[in-house]
Amino acid sequence: MATVLIENLTKVFPPTANQPNQVQALGGLNLSITGNVLVAVLGPSGCGKTTLLNIVAGVEQPTSGSVRSVQDGVPAHISYVFQEPRLLPWRTVVNNMIFVQDRKSDRSRREAEFYLSMVGLGDVADLYPSQLSGGMQQRVNIARAFLVNPDILLMDEPFSHLDALTGRSLRDYLQKIWSQTRKTALLVTHDVNEAVELADRIIMMRPGGVIFDDIPVNLPRPRHPSNPDLQFLQNDILRRFDSMEAAVRFGVG
Amino acid sequence: MTDFSSLPHLPDSLTDTAARSVQKTQTAKPGGLFSRPWFLRLLAIAIIIIVWQLVALTNIRVPNIAEVIRFLIIEISEGTHGGTFKGLFWSPIGNSFMRYAIGMAIGVPIGFALGILIGTSTYARGLLNDTTLVLLALPSVVWAFLSTLWFGLTSEGPILAVVLTAAPFVAVSVSAGVRNIDRSLIEMCASYRVPLLRRTQHLILGGTLPSAITGTRLAFMAGWNSLIIVEWFGATSGVGWRARTLYNFQDYPGFTTWILLFILLIMILDRFLLRPVERRAFRWNEPPMLTFAETDDDSNASTNNSGKRLRKRQD
Repeated sequence: MATVLIENLTKVFPPTANQPNQVQALGGLNLSITGNVLVAVLGPSGCGKTTLLNIVAGVEQPTSGSVRSVQDGVPAHISYVFQEPRLLPWRTVVNNMIFVQDRKSDRSRREAEFYLSMVGLGDVADLYPSQLSGGMQQRVNIARAFLVNPDILLMDEPFSHLDALTGRSLRDYLQKIWSQTRKTALLVTHDVNEAVELADRIIMMRPGGVIFDDIPVNLPRPRHPSNPDLQFLQNDILRRFDSMEAAVRFGVG
Repeated sequence: MTDFSSLPHLPDSLTDTAARSVQKTQTAKPGGLFSRPWFLRLLAIAIIIIVWQLVALTNIRVPNIAEVIRFLIIEISEGTHGGTFKGLFWSPIGNSFMRYAIGMAIGVPIGFALGILIGTSTYARGLLNDTTLVLLALPSVVWAFLSTLWFGLTSEGPILAVVLTAAPFVAVSVSAGVRNIDRSLIEMCASYRVPLLRRTQHLILGGTLPSAITGTRLAFMAGWNSLIIVEWFGATSGVGWRARTLYNFQDYPGFTTWILLFILLIMILDRFLLRPVERRAFRWNEPPMLTFAETDDDSNASTNNSGKRLRKRQD
């Protein structure tokens, strides 16, 4: 079973030419995630969500505090779905998938094609990324993350660059593939819709990199956006954000 | 679970469809002969020949095309131009190509290695960047005099000149290629923990290849020019030496013939060796950086190595 244990995590970015003051992205964050759950980290832009994910991925180092990602006592194998597709343009779709696999075998290609077919792209394996639309490239990005058979799956606003309709269809693909694989997953998003549709638990963050609420979502899957329970939960979350903002504004929080 | 074994695999038929749609748009294009690139190319050659012949009519020091062809035939058959002056064709070309091949075989890899160093290490960039630019800016004639001083009238001088001309061209484009590799792709590799060897091979080399090939194409042209100039001043064989000999004899048809041969040889090399290689390197649909004379297609759309245009699919 995979576990992510985050203790007292802080991240401060030093001043730069564009930003004369130092920026506190994370301010002593504690979070524990265990088991086959999809956890959404929800918050407005600039609240440190992506920094949190980058630190869990090992791409960035924290200023203080610790992050431990383990699977059965050993360091967990992590994969990352980025905001943008991040495919090598000079490699075909299937070769982009095989590129990140930690072992090479005759089965690599078949496995890659299998995950491509899971996101509805069974017929584009030998095309180049430039031959695909933005939504299709993003589906390759998702399939690639599942191909490496991660213990922990990190997703950084994977639908934010897409139009609403394409985003919705990709969420369906993600729900389907996640339901079948049940990886421990951390999804960063600023979209309340997306969080309630996909997550088992929603962590709400506010600017300064602090968690202010932690909401379980006990709704059956597959979830459809028109489900009234989802809309009720969505309104509840928006209300919580409003009261948080008011509290911050008047110095109560 | 999806039954994977029954999934259709359609890449061939997809690309064929793309190719068919390209053919359709090409045949439907209006404009007649003047919209055809091959016709315009022939027209340009015809205009050059006509202007040349007009100039030849009025100037005794400009040979006409018939004189050039007559001279060329004697050179190729290695007959006599009159008296003891013998035709010579294969040995100058063979000598030049041998020097050129050795020079490029040394210069291109050196340039590639330098380019990777300059592109990846700030120390190497500080040390080598200016030196590379100085080499790039130095006129070939300087190498001609220096190599004659150092080596006398041997083959080493021309070979060294080719190496020193070609390497900086390759180095500059390779280092630019390395520096232009998308940082987000490097991060992607880091987060997936792609091993260093595979990362170097597929991300660094793969991303640099197109600019490296464009740089190599430029290096091939610059190296050839440099070779001819060095042979002109400091060799006793080769294309440059032959042109100079004929120039010294004031043999205008001979001199013109060899100048034309010099241009023709590099054009043949570019068209049948370098451009196909470049096209293959760019098959993933990024337009080449050198846009002159690069496709038979009159539009700017790229084609892949088999001439099929890459077509975007929609969701």
